[in-house]
Amino acid sequence: MKGRIIICRCNDVTLEDVEKAIDAGIDDFELLRRYLRLGFGPCQGRSCLAIAARVFARKTGKKVDEVLSGWRVRPPIVPINISAFISEGGD
Amino acid sequence: MRVLIVGAGVSGLFIAYELAMKGVREVVVVDKSYPGSGASLRNVACFRSSFTSPEHVLLMKESIKKWLELKDRLNLDIEQSGYLWVARKPETLDTFRKLVSFYHSYEIPAKILNVDEVKGLVPKINSKIISGAMFDPTAGKMGILKNFVKIYLETKKAGVKIIPYTEVKKLITSNDRVVSVETSRGVLEADVYVVAAAGDSKRLLEPLGVHLPIKDVPRHPMITEPYAADYRLGLLIDWDTPGSPHITQTVHGGFILARDLEDIPEASLYSPRSDAFKNIVKPLAELLPFLKHLKIVRYWMGYYDMTPDHHPIYGPVDQYMNLFIAAGFSGHGMMLAPVTGEVISSWIIEGKPSIPVAQNLTLERFKTGKLVRELAVIG
Repeated sequence: MKGRIIICRCNDVTLEDVEKAIDAGIDDFELLRRYLRLGFGPCQGRSCLAIAARVFARKTGKKVDEVLSGWRVRPPIVPINISAFISEGGD
Repeated sequence: MRVLIVGAGVSGLFIAYELAMKGVREVVVVDKSYPGSGASLRNVACFRSSFTSPEHVLLMKESIKKWLELKDRLNLDIEQSGYLWVARKPETLDTFRKLVSFYHSYEIPAKILNVDEVKGLVPKINSKIISGAMFDPTAGKMGILKNFVKIYLETKKAGVKIIPYTEVKKLITSNDRVVSVETSRGVLEADVYVVAAAGDSKRLLEPLGVHLPIKDVPRHPMITEPYAADYRLGLLIDWDTPGSPHITQTVHGGFILARDLEDIPEASLYSPRSDAFKNIVKPLAELLPFLKHLKIVRYWMGYYDMTPDHHPIYGPVDQYMNLFIAAGFSGHGMMLAPVTGEVISSWIIEGKPSIPVAQNLTLERFKTGKLVRELAVIG
């Protein structure tokens, strides 16, 4: 069942993927995020991060705040078409 | 023997891993943040041996061999899919011919491609604005995020103790030895100390009278949403545009675009430039017009820890018997990492590096003026 609970729709990551990765020894949330690409899709973690952080906190005995402390938003806030940066007459 | 390594980036981890595999029982790696938080998880993850110094060529050839062995053993994402340096100007092909003959003298099968051959390799390229290209089929790319985590897990499995979120504040010395390190969470002691902390190595060693000529130069990569992988090439480089814009497609499908923009050394990693988008995207979209239809999903910054000759600083220092350096990779730390592990671990255990050419890369060279010259620093 856990293999069918999708927690990250950008990268099709399931709850089972998260639990398995933690069980495999990934003991840092920033490494877990990179391993599964949580927050690396177009939504930048809007839906997956809170869930993944709670699962990670529960399994490792850490606090959710502590787990999320290394996460930083990166520009752009929403994906931007490359054509928007290529204007005629510009540089 | 107890070895303490400052910096849990890919260099520090490979050094730790090799030491553990060679029987050193107590290997500890400390990092001020999470493992890989510096350049290791910020780079565009491509590799090549087609450099223009014998030191780089020999070390990178060995490193590629090691990466490919690791690929099989740890199931890493690595593709030997080639580098393509595109010439816009016809006269650039003369430079490429000279480079190719240098590469051939080191048995790197680089070659010149005409416009049709380039189109065969990259069907979507705008062939009207190019004159040809140079291709190195032995270069390639890797999936950096997964690979790094796999290397991290393997290093832990080898018995290495990794202590993240612990900043080394000071190295304590007595005469010609380092005796301990003061961290944000207490004092740590070892018999041998390795500083593999990129630009922070300089700040850490300066009080000891060991001056590392390293400058952290910001780089500005960005990535698109994933697209169907019809583009197998490792890295494409726009040679004739200043800052050599370059582009690779990750295993995951996103295109990473980057260009060496003029920047202030040591600028914060969290000072993104709004002009980076246009400057990086524009020349690459001229070469690959389909890019116009893609979306940039993320832009981040990382440092090249540059030395004056763009080669790393390896090995022991004169003043301290039990201190080793592995820093200043100048943008090539990831591709060199397996060799860094081999070189530094053998230097510590046997007193000399198992790859002799590494001896040309000690800190000593900046005093004696025997710098190594590298003409092409890209990717």
